[in-house]
Amino acid sequence: MTIERSNVDGKVVLHVTGRMDADNAVLFERECESCIAEGITSLVVDLVDLKYVSSMGLRSFVVIGQKLREKGGDFRICRLTGLVRQVFEITRLNQVLPLHDSLESALVGR
Amino acid sequence: MLGIPKSLTLVAKPQTLGLITEFVRAGAREANLPELQTGQLELLIEEIFVNIYRYSYPEQAPGSITVTYTIPNAGELSVEVKDQGIEFNPLAAPAPDLTLSLEQRPIGGLGILLLKTLAGSLSYRREQGWNRLRFGISANS
Repeated sequence: MTIERSNVDGKVVLHVTGRMDADNAVLFERECESCIAEGITSLVVDLVDLKYVSSMGLRSFVVIGQKLREKGGDFRICRLTGLVRQVFEITRLNQVLPLHDSLESALVGR
Repeated sequence: MLGIPKSLTLVAKPQTLGLITEFVRAGAREANLPELQTGQLELLIEEIFVNIYRYSYPEQAPGSITVTYTIPNAGELSVEVKDQGIEFNPLAAPAPDLTLSLEQRPIGGLGILLLKTLAGSLSYRREQGWNRLRFGISANS
Protein backbone atom coordinates (compact mmCIF):
# COMPACT_ATOMS: atom_id res chain seq x y z
CA MET A 1 0.00 0.00 0.00
CA THR A 2 1.19 3.51 -0.76
CA ILE A 3 -0.27 6.74 0.55
CA GLU A 4 0.29 9.94 -1.38
CA ARG A 5 -0.50 13.21 0.30
CA SER A 6 -1.43 16.31 -1.63
CA ASN A 7 -3.19 19.62 -1.16
CA VAL A 8 -6.14 20.30 -3.40
CA ASP A 9 -8.15 23.51 -3.06
CA GLY A 10 -6.67 23.99 0.42
CA LYS A 11 -7.65 20.53 1.61
CA VAL A 12 -5.41 17.59 2.39
CA VAL A 13 -6.10 14.61 0.15
CA LEU A 14 -4.67 11.17 0.89
CA HIS A 15 -4.58 8.98 -2.19
CA VAL A 16 -4.31 5.35 -1.12
CA THR A 17 -3.13 2.73 -3.61
CA GLY A 18 -2.95 -1.06 -3.31
CA ARG A 19 -4.14 -3.22 -0.43
CA MET A 20 -4.99 -2.29 3.14
CA ASP A 21 -4.80 -5.34 5.37
CA ALA A 22 -3.86 -6.54 8.86
CA ASP A 23 -0.23 -6.05 7.96
CA ASN A 24 -0.31 -2.39 6.95
CA ALA A 25 -3.56 -0.72 8.05
CA VAL A 26 -1.63 0.85 10.89
CA LEU A 27 0.43 2.82 8.35
CA PHE A 28 -2.72 4.50 7.05
CA GLU A 29 -3.79 5.23 10.61
CA ARG A 30 -0.38 6.77 11.37
CA GLU A 31 -0.46 8.97 8.28
CA CYS A 32 -3.90 10.28 9.29
CA GLU A 33 -2.71 10.73 12.88
CA SER A 34 0.24 12.80 11.74
CA CYS A 35 -2.10 15.04 9.74
CA ILE A 36 -4.25 15.47 12.86
CA ALA A 37 -1.12 16.22 14.92
CA GLU A 38 -0.32 19.01 12.46
CA GLY A 39 -3.68 20.54 13.22
CA ILE A 40 -5.46 19.33 10.08
CA THR A 41 -9.06 18.45 10.95
CA SER A 42 -10.48 18.00 7.48
CA LEU A 43 -9.24 15.01 5.53
CA VAL A 44 -10.26 13.67 2.15
CA VAL A 45 -9.30 10.08 1.36
CA ASP A 46 -9.33 9.04 -2.27
CA LEU A 47 -9.71 5.27 -2.61
CA VAL A 48 -9.98 4.96 -6.39
CA ASP A 49 -6.79 2.87 -6.49
CA LEU A 50 -7.43 0.85 -3.33
CA LYS A 51 -8.21 -2.69 -4.43
CA TYR A 52 -8.64 -4.42 -1.08
CA VAL A 53 -9.55 -3.59 2.49
CA SER A 54 -10.11 -6.02 5.37
CA SER A 55 -11.71 -5.45 8.78
CA MET A 56 -8.34 -4.26 10.12
CA GLY A 57 -8.43 -1.48 7.53
CA LEU A 58 -12.05 -0.65 8.37
CA ARG A 59 -11.00 -0.37 11.99
CA SER A 60 -8.58 2.40 11.00
CA PHE A 61 -11.32 4.29 9.16
CA VAL A 62 -13.54 4.10 12.26
CA VAL A 63 -10.73 5.24 14.57
CA ILE A 64 -9.79 8.22 12.40
CA GLY A 65 -13.41 9.14 11.70
CA GLN A 66 -14.11 9.21 15.44
CA LYS A 67 -11.01 11.31 16.18
CA LEU A 68 -11.82 13.87 13.51
CA ARG A 69 -15.43 14.14 14.58
CA GLU A 70 -14.35 14.63 18.19
CA LYS A 71 -12.37 17.63 17.00
CA GLY A 72 -15.32 18.93 15.02
CA GLY A 73 -13.47 18.01 11.85
CA ASP A 74 -14.44 16.24 8.69
CA PHE A 75 -13.48 12.89 7.19
CA ARG A 76 -14.54 12.42 3.59
CA ILE A 77 -13.97 9.28 1.60
CA CYS A 78 -14.38 9.15 -2.14
CA ARG A 79 -14.28 6.95 -5.24
CA LEU A 80 -14.65 3.48 -3.75
CA THR A 81 -14.79 0.64 -6.23
CA GLY A 82 -15.39 -3.12 -6.35
CA LEU A 83 -14.61 -5.06 -3.21
CA VAL A 84 -13.79 -1.93 -1.18
CA ARG A 85 -17.20 -0.44 -1.87
CA GLN A 86 -18.87 -3.78 -1.10
CA VAL A 87 -17.09 -4.05 2.26
CA PHE A 88 -18.13 -0.52 3.28
CA GLU A 89 -21.72 -1.35 2.33
CA ILE A 90 -21.89 -4.70 4.17
CA THR A 91 -20.60 -3.12 7.37
CA ARG A 92 -22.78 -0.04 6.83
CA LEU A 93 -19.82 2.22 7.31
CA ASN A 94 -21.20 4.04 4.26
CA GLN A 95 -24.03 5.20 6.55
CA VAL A 96 -21.76 6.76 9.16
CA LEU A 97 -18.89 7.90 6.94
CA PRO A 98 -20.68 9.37 3.93
CA LEU A 99 -19.01 8.35 0.69
CA HIS A 100 -18.52 10.58 -2.32
CA ASP A 101 -18.54 9.38 -5.90
CA SER A 102 -16.04 11.96 -7.08
CA LEU A 103 -13.06 13.79 -5.64
CA GLU A 104 -14.71 17.06 -6.61
CA SER A 105 -17.79 16.39 -4.50
CA ALA A 106 -15.63 15.30 -1.55
CA LEU A 107 -13.75 18.59 -1.82
CA VAL A 108 -16.82 20.81 -1.92
CA GLY A 109 -18.63 18.96 0.84
CA ARG A 110 -21.90 17.20 1.22
CA MET B 1 -6.92 -29.65 -10.94
CA LEU B 2 -10.58 -30.48 -10.37
CA GLY B 3 -11.35 -32.30 -7.17
CA ILE B 4 -7.80 -32.81 -5.92
CA PRO B 5 -7.27 -31.09 -2.55
CA LYS B 6 -4.26 -28.86 -1.98
CA SER B 7 -3.10 -27.97 1.51
CA LEU B 8 -0.74 -25.55 3.18
CA THR B 9 0.19 -25.73 6.86
CA LEU B 10 2.11 -23.00 8.61
CA VAL B 11 2.42 -21.16 11.89
CA ALA B 12 -0.36 -18.63 12.38
CA LYS B 13 1.41 -15.32 12.96
CA PRO B 14 1.25 -11.94 11.26
CA GLN B 15 4.29 -12.65 9.09
CA THR B 16 2.70 -15.67 7.42
CA LEU B 17 -0.50 -13.97 6.24
CA GLY B 18 1.12 -13.16 2.90
CA LEU B 19 1.97 -16.83 2.26
CA ILE B 20 -1.58 -17.97 2.99
CA THR B 21 -2.97 -15.24 0.76
CA GLU B 22 -0.67 -16.26 -2.08
CA PHE B 23 -1.73 -19.90 -1.64
CA VAL B 24 -5.46 -19.22 -1.94
CA ARG B 25 -4.88 -16.76 -4.76
CA ALA B 26 -3.31 -19.62 -6.72
CA GLY B 27 -6.47 -21.64 -5.99
CA ALA B 28 -8.61 -18.79 -7.27
CA ARG B 29 -6.61 -18.71 -10.48
CA GLU B 30 -6.96 -22.48 -10.92
CA ALA B 31 -10.71 -22.20 -10.37
CA ASN B 32 -10.94 -19.23 -12.75
CA LEU B 33 -12.59 -17.01 -10.17
CA PRO B 34 -13.19 -13.44 -11.32
CA GLU B 35 -11.32 -10.54 -9.68
CA LEU B 36 -14.12 -9.61 -7.25
CA GLN B 37 -14.50 -13.17 -5.92
CA THR B 38 -10.72 -13.57 -5.68
CA GLY B 39 -10.62 -10.45 -3.50
CA GLN B 40 -13.49 -11.81 -1.40
CA LEU B 41 -11.62 -15.08 -0.93
CA GLU B 42 -8.47 -13.24 0.21
CA LEU B 43 -10.59 -11.21 2.60
CA LEU B 44 -12.25 -14.31 4.08
CA ILE B 45 -8.90 -16.00 4.59
CA GLU B 46 -7.44 -12.89 6.23
CA GLU B 47 -10.38 -12.53 8.62
CA ILE B 48 -10.20 -16.20 9.64
CA PHE B 49 -6.41 -16.15 9.88
CA VAL B 50 -6.28 -13.00 12.02
CA ASN B 51 -8.90 -14.44 14.39
CA ILE B 52 -6.83 -17.58 14.81
CA TYR B 53 -3.52 -15.91 15.56
CA ARG B 54 -5.06 -13.29 17.80
CA TYR B 55 -7.58 -15.31 19.75
CA SER B 56 -7.24 -19.02 19.15
CA TYR B 57 -3.65 -19.49 20.28
CA PRO B 58 -1.86 -17.78 23.19
CA GLU B 59 0.23 -14.83 22.06
CA GLN B 60 3.44 -16.38 23.36
CA ALA B 61 2.77 -19.76 21.77
CA PRO B 62 1.49 -19.45 18.21
CA GLY B 63 0.10 -22.65 16.73
CA SER B 64 -0.41 -24.00 13.28
CA ILE B 65 -3.12 -23.45 10.73
CA THR B 66 -3.91 -25.64 7.74
CA VAL B 67 -5.74 -24.33 4.71
CA THR B 68 -7.06 -26.83 2.19
CA TYR B 69 -8.85 -26.03 -1.02
CA THR B 70 -10.55 -28.08 -3.68
CA ILE B 71 -12.15 -27.08 -6.94
CA PRO B 72 -15.38 -29.08 -7.08
CA ASN B 73 -16.28 -27.52 -10.43
CA ALA B 74 -14.75 -24.84 -12.64
CA GLY B 75 -15.58 -21.45 -11.18
CA GLU B 76 -15.97 -22.83 -7.64
CA LEU B 77 -13.57 -23.11 -4.77
CA SER B 78 -14.22 -24.98 -1.55
CA VAL B 79 -11.99 -24.08 1.39
CA GLU B 80 -11.37 -25.57 4.83
CA VAL B 81 -9.32 -23.84 7.52
CA LYS B 82 -8.39 -25.79 10.62
CA ASP B 83 -6.50 -25.02 13.80
CA GLN B 84 -6.02 -26.58 17.22
CA GLY B 85 -6.55 -23.47 19.29
CA ILE B 86 -9.37 -22.80 21.73
CA GLU B 87 -12.84 -23.68 20.54
CA PHE B 88 -14.31 -20.81 18.56
CA ASN B 89 -17.39 -20.92 16.39
CA PRO B 90 -17.63 -17.65 14.45
CA LEU B 91 -21.18 -18.57 13.40
CA ALA B 92 -22.23 -18.29 17.03
CA ALA B 93 -20.61 -14.87 17.54
CA PRO B 94 -23.10 -12.05 18.17
CA ALA B 95 -23.76 -9.72 15.25
CA PRO B 96 -22.44 -6.17 15.61
CA ASP B 97 -25.01 -3.38 15.94
CA LEU B 98 -24.80 -1.61 12.60
CA THR B 99 -27.33 1.04 13.55
CA LEU B 100 -24.93 2.77 15.94
CA SER B 101 -23.56 6.20 15.07
CA LEU B 102 -19.89 6.61 14.24
CA GLU B 103 -19.14 7.87 17.74
CA GLN B 104 -20.79 4.82 19.32
CA ARG B 105 -19.34 2.22 17.00
CA PRO B 106 -16.85 -0.16 18.60
CA ILE B 107 -13.62 -0.10 16.63
CA GLY B 108 -13.57 -3.81 15.90
CA GLY B 109 -15.97 -6.68 15.35
CA LEU B 110 -16.63 -6.32 11.63
CA GLY B 111 -14.51 -9.23 10.46
CA ILE B 112 -16.97 -11.93 11.45
CA LEU B 113 -19.80 -10.00 9.80
CA LEU B 114 -17.80 -9.94 6.55
CA LEU B 115 -17.12 -13.65 6.95
CA LYS B 116 -20.78 -14.53 7.48
CA THR B 117 -21.90 -12.30 4.62
CA LEU B 118 -19.36 -13.22 1.94
CA ALA B 119 -18.69 -16.91 2.60
CA GLY B 120 -21.00 -19.34 0.82
CA SER B 121 -22.29 -22.29 2.89
CA LEU B 122 -20.16 -21.43 5.91
CA SER B 123 -19.98 -24.26 8.42
CA TYR B 124 -18.09 -24.94 11.63
CA ARG B 125 -17.23 -28.14 13.46
CA ARG B 126 -15.23 -28.78 16.58
CA GLU B 127 -13.68 -32.17 16.15
CA GLN B 128 -11.11 -33.89 18.38
CA GLY B 129 -9.49 -30.66 19.41
CA TRP B 130 -9.70 -29.05 15.96
CA ASN B 131 -11.67 -26.02 14.84
CA ARG B 132 -12.75 -26.74 11.27
CA LEU B 133 -14.27 -23.94 9.28
CA ARG B 134 -15.50 -24.55 5.77
CA PHE B 135 -16.86 -22.27 3.10
CA GLY B 136 -17.24 -21.99 -0.62
CA ILE B 137 -16.88 -19.20 -3.07
CA SER B 138 -18.01 -19.24 -6.66
CA ALA B 139 -17.87 -17.13 -9.78
CA ASN B 140 -21.64 -16.66 -9.54
CA SER B 141 -21.77 -15.57 -5.91
